[in-house]
Amino acid sequence: MFKSIAYVLKENFTNVYRIFCIARYELLADMRDSKFGMFWNFASPAIQVFTYWLIFGIAWNKPDIKGVKYLPWLVVGYSAWWFIQPCIQSGCNAVFSKINVITKMKFPVSVLPATICVKEMFNHFCMLIIAFITLACCGYFPNVYWLGILYYALCAFCFAEAVSLILSVLTMLWRDVRKLVTSLMRMLMYFSPVIWECKFRASMPYHELINKMMKLNPVYYIVNGYRDSIFYATTPFDHPAMTLYFWVVVIILFTIGCVLMYKFKRKFIDMI
Amino acid sequence: MSKKNIQDTEYAVVMEHVSKIYKLKKKDGQKSNNTERFYALKDISLKIKKGDVVGILGTNGSGKSTMSVILSGISDIDEGDMKINGEQALISINTGLNQQLTGLENINVKGALLGFNKKRIKEITDGVIEFAELGDFLYQPVKKYSSGMKSRLGFSISLALNPDIFIVDEALSVGDKAFAEKCLKRMKKLRDEEDKTILFISHSLPQVRDFCKTGVWIEGGKLVEVGDIDTVCDHYAEYVDKLNAMGNKEKNKMLEEKFKKRLIVDHKKSFLDKLFNKM
Repeated sequence: MFKSIAYVLKENFTNVYRIFCIARYELLADMRDSKFGMFWNFASPAIQVFTYWLIFGIAWNKPDIKGVKYLPWLVVGYSAWWFIQPCIQSGCNAVFSKINVITKMKFPVSVLPATICVKEMFNHFCMLIIAFITLACCGYFPNVYWLGILYYALCAFCFAEAVSLILSVLTMLWRDVRKLVTSLMRMLMYFSPVIWECKFRASMPYHELINKMMKLNPVYYIVNGYRDSIFYATTPFDHPAMTLYFWVVVIILFTIGCVLMYKFKRKFIDMI
Repeated sequence: MSKKNIQDTEYAVVMEHVSKIYKLKKKDGQKSNNTERFYALKDISLKIKKGDVVGILGTNGSGKSTMSVILSGISDIDEGDMKINGEQALISINTGLNQQLTGLENINVKGALLGFNKKRIKEITDGVIEFAELGDFLYQPVKKYSSGMKSRLGFSISLALNPDIFIVDEALSVGDKAFAEKCLKRMKKLRDEEDKTILFISHSLPQVRDFCKTGVWIEGGKLVEVGDIDTVCDHYAEYVDKLNAMGNKEKNKMLEEKFKKRLIVDHKKSFLDKLFNKM
């Protein structure tokens, strides 16, 4: 077990330049595909946020959440989600999409999930710029607590890396995994406090238990962490139990991913 | 211990009873409890000296590409022992090129895929541009390239690798004759001046005869002959001629027999059995 973790970590850290280079040129290739290129990295999340705001904020007239208007609340949560969701979704395909490379070259397969995460990190920064502009329009300006975002971005990166490490191997074993994940992602979004607070009203039976269970979702920690830093001036040390729980989950997931990757690293070619 | 050391210095590749097995998919609609497995390579024992230039011959489907994949360490073997002294690299031409990006950018992309650092990529860029002869097409996206141009670019980048053992799989059968010649010249330089071990897989007998010292002939997943390149080539040419002279029926029958020899049929174990076996 430790051998596989050491193997994956070593392979990733000795290939940092490779990871960044692949991510960079893959982004560039994506941009070349379309005429407006980079514009879409900004436009598509903006349109999504706008849609949710129209429906939930305007049409359903959602009340303020702990003193924060719905639009700024949504935009911050959604920017965290805009990193996690594509990471997991394309993380499934990380190894499979590079099949022609790994069958024809000696290639450190375990760096592939990291390339996806680095690539999505760029999109995440685009989204954060949109979020900051929206926040400024709503009257929120940077203070020292906003630095917490850096910590939570790191959390999100580690979580996404661990999950896509597992899923990329599983997709190679069963192609169905990717389809399953694509359908489950929508569910995960509604079970995370992205567009609603994920709190059931007191009229619902067992609402306390259910609300606690919602917090078991690691995405809950990340998304709420972003909001805590921006609106509520809290740091990760204000809820140590959640922080501890989150990192334990991430480490377990990462270990599973490493073991799988180590076990199948030279078998991928036979699985096509 | 001392015996082992001698081996280390003398041989680049030592294979002992190596086999590679592929699983076959069942034919549609057929329900049987047997899974069919197939020997891609069967019981191959082979020693390749350091600095040797080996030509690997064989008809289609005889296991040459499997051999190259195994030797380059991409795929695991299923049976037997294999030892490789030194770093090996498979020269692959068209992999790792991104259609959307320009030739110059692709040097970076493929360079990064092959594991070069930033400095090394800068070093090789000029050499690659010169060798690939792309001219102004360097700044065009690769999707606009002709297939020859693509292979030229891919091959030139791969040449920047500096392993101890080169594995070249059908690499020179792309591009036009002039370029193949140029590549061969470059490979010869590697052979003569830098004393690399080169494993050369090709269909073109003249090229192999010209370039290699030792010949290895694989047929139906089995090793048929190892020896001096000219003798092996002669025997192989004879065999191909014989095959061509055969009628279609005869040929098919022979191929089928050969295929059957490589099959292994075993009863499917239940999931629990597998689990217990693993434990």
